[in-house]
Amino acid sequence: MGMFFPALICGLFCYFGAIESANVLGTTGSFYCLGRPLVAGLVCGIAFGNVEQGVLCGVAVQAVFIANLSTGGATNSEITYASYGGIGLAMATTHDPAVAATLAVLVGNTFGLIFYNLRMAFYSVFNNKAYEAAEAGDTKGINTWHLVIPNICTFLLRFVPVFLAIYFGQGVVDGILASVPEIVTHIIQVLGGVLPALGVGMLMNIVIKDSIQMVFFLFGFVVCAFLGLGTIPMVFIAAVVAYLTYLASGKGAAPDAALAQSSDAAYEDPDLF
Amino acid sequence: MATFTPKVVDGKEGLTKKDLNSLWYRWQVGWFSSSSYEKLETHGFAWSYIPFAEKFYKDDPEGKKRLLVRHSQFYNTEPQVGTIVNGIVASLEEDIALGGDIPEEMVTNIKTTLMGPLAGLGDSIIQGIIVPTLLSVGMSLASSGSPAGPIFYIISWLVLGLAISYGMFRYGYKMGLSAIDVLAGNESRRLMDAINVLGIIVTGTLAASFISISTIVNIPKGSDYTALSDTLNGVFPKLFPLIFVLFTYWMLNKKQFGPTKVLLILTGIIIVTCLVGLF
Repeated sequence: MGMFFPALICGLFCYFGAIESANVLGTTGSFYCLGRPLVAGLVCGIAFGNVEQGVLCGVAVQAVFIANLSTGGATNSEITYASYGGIGLAMATTHDPAVAATLAVLVGNTFGLIFYNLRMAFYSVFNNKAYEAAEAGDTKGINTWHLVIPNICTFLLRFVPVFLAIYFGQGVVDGILASVPEIVTHIIQVLGGVLPALGVGMLMNIVIKDSIQMVFFLFGFVVCAFLGLGTIPMVFIAAVVAYLTYLASGKGAAPDAALAQSSDAAYEDPDLF
Repeated sequence: MATFTPKVVDGKEGLTKKDLNSLWYRWQVGWFSSSSYEKLETHGFAWSYIPFAEKFYKDDPEGKKRLLVRHSQFYNTEPQVGTIVNGIVASLEEDIALGGDIPEEMVTNIKTTLMGPLAGLGDSIIQGIIVPTLLSVGMSLASSGSPAGPIFYIISWLVLGLAISYGMFRYGYKMGLSAIDVLAGNESRRLMDAINVLGIIVTGTLAASFISISTIVNIPKGSDYTALSDTLNGVFPKLFPLIFVLFTYWMLNKKQFGPTKVLLILTGIIIVTCLVGLF
């Protein structure tokens, strides 16, 4: 099969899954859904006619980006370029999930971030135009400068590089993969295994509000590592612990009510008299 | 659910259900469209108010300008949990448009006051807890290459994410300013603390499941060699992933290093330790 169709699909979805893409799916259906590597794996798998390998590449890339964060417009890595660029290139060449993860990090943390930061700097120009339109009460102007023109630019910035990379990148990637020394391949593989630590560390930075809460983190880690439990049972265990915490946190307010209830009960109990 | 009847003041009809849905949907679509580091989500708010402006300020060009300008002031929050602000603002703007006595500056004040706390709350619930939890379940279903994993994530996330986004918006509209009291109340704080505990435990699970590194060092045992990693696994499985994640967290939290700096440090450490033959 030619590269044209799969490259086209990857390019289009790199636009549809982008954080700043304004499309009918809304952000919940685009950035938070199509933009995730796990979903991108399925899309690329279908585009390249190999769903199983696509999903496996998606899982490998998703592991690295499990805790991708974008707060205050800053991001640790451009997840959508990483997803469709990385998985797309891997599917065009080796189909190897480890290669997909490495390519995704490479694409996401270099080209992706450069494109993203350039755009975030440059769109101030459109913002000024949109502000002027608001001052003039010109709703059409807001539509033009907030939606239409930025989206054309976003489409070009997303679709063109990913399409070209996949359409023409096959030979380049194959060539590089064939010529790097073994130690470099080894380092890349080890690094791919360690990189999720960055995402998880950033996640800890958000959810752990008090250092005493490290206890819950270590609990999750130790139960998972020592008992070898999978994610699904772990989520249930976590939910039960969370519920217990919820019950326990009510204690502060509860004693008065409990006391009142028990003294009432004592009066009503005929056996006491 | 009770049928929705729009507010009527002095014969003027307020927001219909269709108007409300449009305010929510336009935010879903356009919230980040023209984002820059300078303005972030700012103009997404103004864009979501275009049909509102055309409907309520058709004959009041000055009022229309003031409406569009006050929704072109800096704004940035989490886009799904943060819709509660859009809901509260919709109830205030409706009141203003119908000639109520809410001062126009109040809208900007409310947005500026709420965006920070809701960004923190929303990021920890959506990006910190719900998305990683659903993704990790999806990944375990997809580990043999089955499309069931991504499909599980797509369905479960769309149901939950859209319910939160739309629910928060309608709740904010219904409660108006009193939504803030509920949000800051004791009961919701207890609930949030509990959900946060779930998030922290799942984060620990993610660290144990997805960070993989083990030493390739062999230690002499009699005349033979045995892998150090086998010995370590017997004592403390996944010790190295734990060390790496705690080190990363320490750099981010205690040293306040940025993600790029941490990435470079981790890469440096891995290159050196690989060359030495530890990993």
